[in-house]
Amino acid sequence: MRTLSLTLLLLSVLAVTPPPARAQDVEPPDGTRVESAEVSGIPDAQLSPGLRRDIDAIAGKPLTRPDVTQLARRIEEERPEVVVAVRIVARPGDEARVVFLVARISDDASLGSNINARYTVESVEIEGLKEHEISAALRDRLQALVGTRLDPDAADKLVEELKAERPSYNVWRRIERGTRRGQIRVVFKFAEIEELRWLHFTPSRSKFVYHSDQGWSGLHDIPMGNRDHRVTIGFALDDNDTLVEEYSGFRVRFESRRLGTERVGASLEASWLNNNWRSPTLAALDAVPGGAEPYRHRLTVEPAVSVALTRHLRARGGASLSSLESLRHSPDSQMASAVTGSLAYSQRWRQDRRTSQDVEASYELRTSADGLGSDLSYRRHLGHARYQFESRHNRIIADVFVGGITGQAPLFERFTLGDSSTLRGWNKFDIAPAGGDRVFHQSVEYRFHGFALFLDAGSVWDDGATHELRASTGFGFHLDHVFLTAAFPLDARGGGGTFMMGVRF
Amino acid sequence: MIAAVAERALRGLALLVVACAVPLPLAAQSLTVRAAGDMLQVRGTGLRLIEGVVAAHLKDGRSVRVDFDMTILDKAQGASITQARQSFVISYDLWEQRYAVTRNGAPPRSISHLVARDAESWCLENMALPLTALGRFARDLPFWIQVDFRVQDQPPTAADAESPFTLRTLIDVFSRRRQDEPPGRTFEAGPFRVGN
Repeated sequence: MRTLSLTLLLLSVLAVTPPPARAQDVEPPDGTRVESAEVSGIPDAQLSPGLRRDIDAIAGKPLTRPDVTQLARRIEEERPEVVVAVRIVARPGDEARVVFLVARISDDASLGSNINARYTVESVEIEGLKEHEISAALRDRLQALVGTRLDPDAADKLVEELKAERPSYNVWRRIERGTRRGQIRVVFKFAEIEELRWLHFTPSRSKFVYHSDQGWSGLHDIPMGNRDHRVTIGFALDDNDTLVEEYSGFRVRFESRRLGTERVGASLEASWLNNNWRSPTLAALDAVPGGAEPYRHRLTVEPAVSVALTRHLRARGGASLSSLESLRHSPDSQMASAVTGSLAYSQRWRQDRRTSQDVEASYELRTSADGLGSDLSYRRHLGHARYQFESRHNRIIADVFVGGITGQAPLFERFTLGDSSTLRGWNKFDIAPAGGDRVFHQSVEYRFHGFALFLDAGSVWDDGATHELRASTGFGFHLDHVFLTAAFPLDARGGGGTFMMGVRF
Repeated sequence: MIAAVAERALRGLALLVVACAVPLPLAAQSLTVRAAGDMLQVRGTGLRLIEGVVAAHLKDGRSVRVDFDMTILDKAQGASITQARQSFVISYDLWEQRYAVTRNGAPPRSISHLVARDAESWCLENMALPLTALGRFARDLPFWIQVDFRVQDQPPTAADAESPFTLRTLIDVFSRRRQDEPPGRTFEAGPFRVGN
């Protein structure tokens, strides 16, 4: 019965289709005189006399699509077990023939699950992956859809097979109109799952942050490129959130994470920054004769090569070449050049869709090199670890870092605490306005939905000086990309607390 | 001291509000009821079901299953008198540029050529709720209606794909629900009387 109905439906489509393809492609415009109107797929007698009369009445009148659509709806309202497609075919003499093609849902369950199942697949396309990266057998099965009516279940099954064949990709399908009416294009879209890549691009540093003691900081990275190569243009506006210095300027970073293989990548970053210094910082620097010198401009070039030792362990090596134009003795400048190396580990465990654990750990070494023409001799170590547990709306984040500098490092290498992400509630220009060459910091935060409670503790000091452990606590609204925080030092010396808000994206 | 922090907090908050001013859609659904034979028929507008990620998903030619749950309450946020559950499948006809809805079950009912708001209303109208189940509330007592709907087919979103973070994606992130929460809404309206 089902086969017979479908055959009749297809035959009726063919019957009303004039042979030349051109006439089929172009539907007559509104206003064309309707030569005839008919219902195909169910006997006229199954429609009410009033509806039959109204369908017949459009013959001889100018074509009006909203009226035709309304009639199709009335057929469906009278016969809830059917769906109706309207076919308007050009006829000789600038006339049009209107056919209401009726199909019973009970004859074809796929019509009930997707109305587009009545259309014929014109082409099958793949996006996000080169066709030859799919097995020939699966490619053939994809192309076998062409010329058939869309079967959503079969298409979904192919999606699952594509996922099985390319497990490092998310795969989904979408359908679009074809070039001819009644035909559709099926597009299988691939998007690489970022966490399964061997190497990751440098995370965006974009942020707009307000700190009640330190004011606004802004950074905006604009990445462009594809899944293997990227150019990022970044702008900084009065950023004082992470370093001792406040800087504005721009940077350009080229990155590739496939140099012959996905396990090797490279990057080159250049930045041009103008620096400003807060008066507490300048006063602190003046108090230490022979100490680090503030600079007016900082030009930095940083080439690096990355290698994925495993999917979770990555090594990086390179250089950092900075020219620092003196603030007080311009145009004199210093070179701060270092060889850099780091080892980073990251892994995620998903217990189910709503529960996961993330671990990140890294160690970075930056050491000045005479061979690179550095005027400053120093060595900087930084170790960092972070753990996050998330279950439904609960999230616990623990973060710790430890750092040390030996020798005379430029100011941008010195450690600070007391900003929008470390020792919240304190002002870094009160704790260590010129930064320190030793640092320790830990933070524990609990979030429920977006509401956050946290406890920060840490110390930043210079080698040989006494160091004090400071702590702070606070609460706020913290989402992945936006935060609104009130934080309070657990010590009277820290003042009345701070308010911070912003976006990081 | 606390006043100073509060003042700074308010100043910053005001700046954030100005910076992030995004018009928020107001909840504006409205329901009406009437007796249709021996069934209670509920009509509604402003469900805001076919919008955002759901609309985008449908316009990609996919279908979504939506589970509706309609509860008759004896008062606002009161006890349940009776309940009806029904699943619908919605798809978007790419050539007609109209929505089609099929009510699951036997016999299935179906309709197409609907604009989004009419497709949403059709779902509500086709929730089967016999008047006898309302008991004395079917005669003259006022009652409230709670409607809950959940979209069961999770559409893939841009977050599944590798996408660089830009202001545009930030806006997308803020306008999107968490992925582990199926899109849906619950709302309540009343009081109603059969025959209103």
